[in-house]
Amino acid sequence: MNLSRSDRRERLERLAAEFALGTSPPRVRRRLIAIARRDRPVAAALSDWERRIAVLADDVPPMTPPPRVWRSIVGRLGLDPDDAKARRAARWSRLAAWRALAITSLVGIIAIGAAEWRRAPVVLPAPLVVALAGADAKVALIATATRGERYLTLKTVGNANPGAEKVFELWALPQSGPPQALGVIPQGDIVRVPLPNPADETLSNIATLAVSVEPPGGSPSGKPTGPVLYSGRVERMY
Amino acid sequence: MAGDRSDAQGARPAHAERNDQLATLLPRVALGDQRAFADLYRLASAHLFAVAVRIVRDGALAEEMLQEAFVSVWHHAGTYDAVKSQPITWLTSIVRNRCLDRLRRREVDTRPLVTDDDTDAPAWEPPSDGPSPVDLLLAAADARALRGCIETLEPGPRQAIALAFFEGLSHRELAAHLREPLGTVKSWVRRGLATLRRCLDAAGATG
Repeated sequence: MNLSRSDRRERLERLAAEFALGTSPPRVRRRLIAIARRDRPVAAALSDWERRIAVLADDVPPMTPPPRVWRSIVGRLGLDPDDAKARRAARWSRLAAWRALAITSLVGIIAIGAAEWRRAPVVLPAPLVVALAGADAKVALIATATRGERYLTLKTVGNANPGAEKVFELWALPQSGPPQALGVIPQGDIVRVPLPNPADETLSNIATLAVSVEPPGGSPSGKPTGPVLYSGRVERMY
Repeated sequence: MAGDRSDAQGARPAHAERNDQLATLLPRVALGDQRAFADLYRLASAHLFAVAVRIVRDGALAEEMLQEAFVSVWHHAGTYDAVKSQPITWLTSIVRNRCLDRLRRREVDTRPLVTDDDTDAPAWEPPSDGPSPVDLLLAAADARALRGCIETLEPGPRQAIALAFFEGLSHRELAAHLREPLGTVKSWVRRGLATLRRCLDAAGATG
């Protein structure tokens, strides 16, 4: 059965709609999930319908779950219940799971459909833009690049400061796989971080940039070791 | 509706603010930021728990589903794509899929839920308090200026879709609950979804 063929579009739409609504029989659910792992049109149809349908849940009156739920989640993941103090070992040990994107839920299907990016009709002088914001949603740094340039320009817009004896390090977060170090961010209001390849190539598969606090010279391990203070989506304007 | 801040005409709906915050938190969770994960839980868990409770109709099971969903979010937050969906929509889908998978598995295990000659005993009792599924469907429509569109659904399809979405009923359970033949219910769902698709896409195109 090849559901992605255009002559079966109507049937796929119906199956995807019923999947998202939740009325599909179990066998159909399992089958659709399996097909979507390797078939982009099917994955896209499912995630489009999930998006349409899940909107309806916005106005369900909220119910606060009992505190034991959070304790169990923290326990199952081996996290520090004190949330703020992250254990470095546990924090990054799960990165292996990223590589094995054998996901049992729709999360995976949504990921498969994630390759399409919005295109803006206007050509801007800086077609790659990332606004890096902190937990308060305030933008702290803005990164820009044009496609062929081998560097990112970073402008500090808040009072972002790594603290004494610390530096900021810039990371590229791929669609899957561990973060890639882009290098230590030099001090200054407007600075450049060199890239190994032209910006559009270096960031072709990167969804998000993030900034962590590291010891002088950058992370000794090749992975972020300090807190991640800022992050932002890579917006492609080309 | 004398709603608080969920009014689409209001200055800045609470939904939008929460979504902005969640959109900032998800990439941080993807990078293993435990504080961001805790904030995400604080912001989203009450909504997601309510969704789970309505579908599985069992507090303990809903807690388990919420746990599983958040464990999955911790591992896979990096796959969230802001271009494709709002954060709360993405999170809701994860919770709903967990619940539906569990419900359907249980349904297979324990069937038949109702037999054909058991028409006096409903397969499922609606929650005695709180808004009905149809109320919720219309509330969602209010929030998105979709009311006129939802109201064009005939009563049968409207009720079938509301029950399926908010209470997680399968085709078979819908047929038992609405006391209609299975084929009729399936066709209501299909027609209702086709209408909803046009409505939701038209609304999405402007917002």
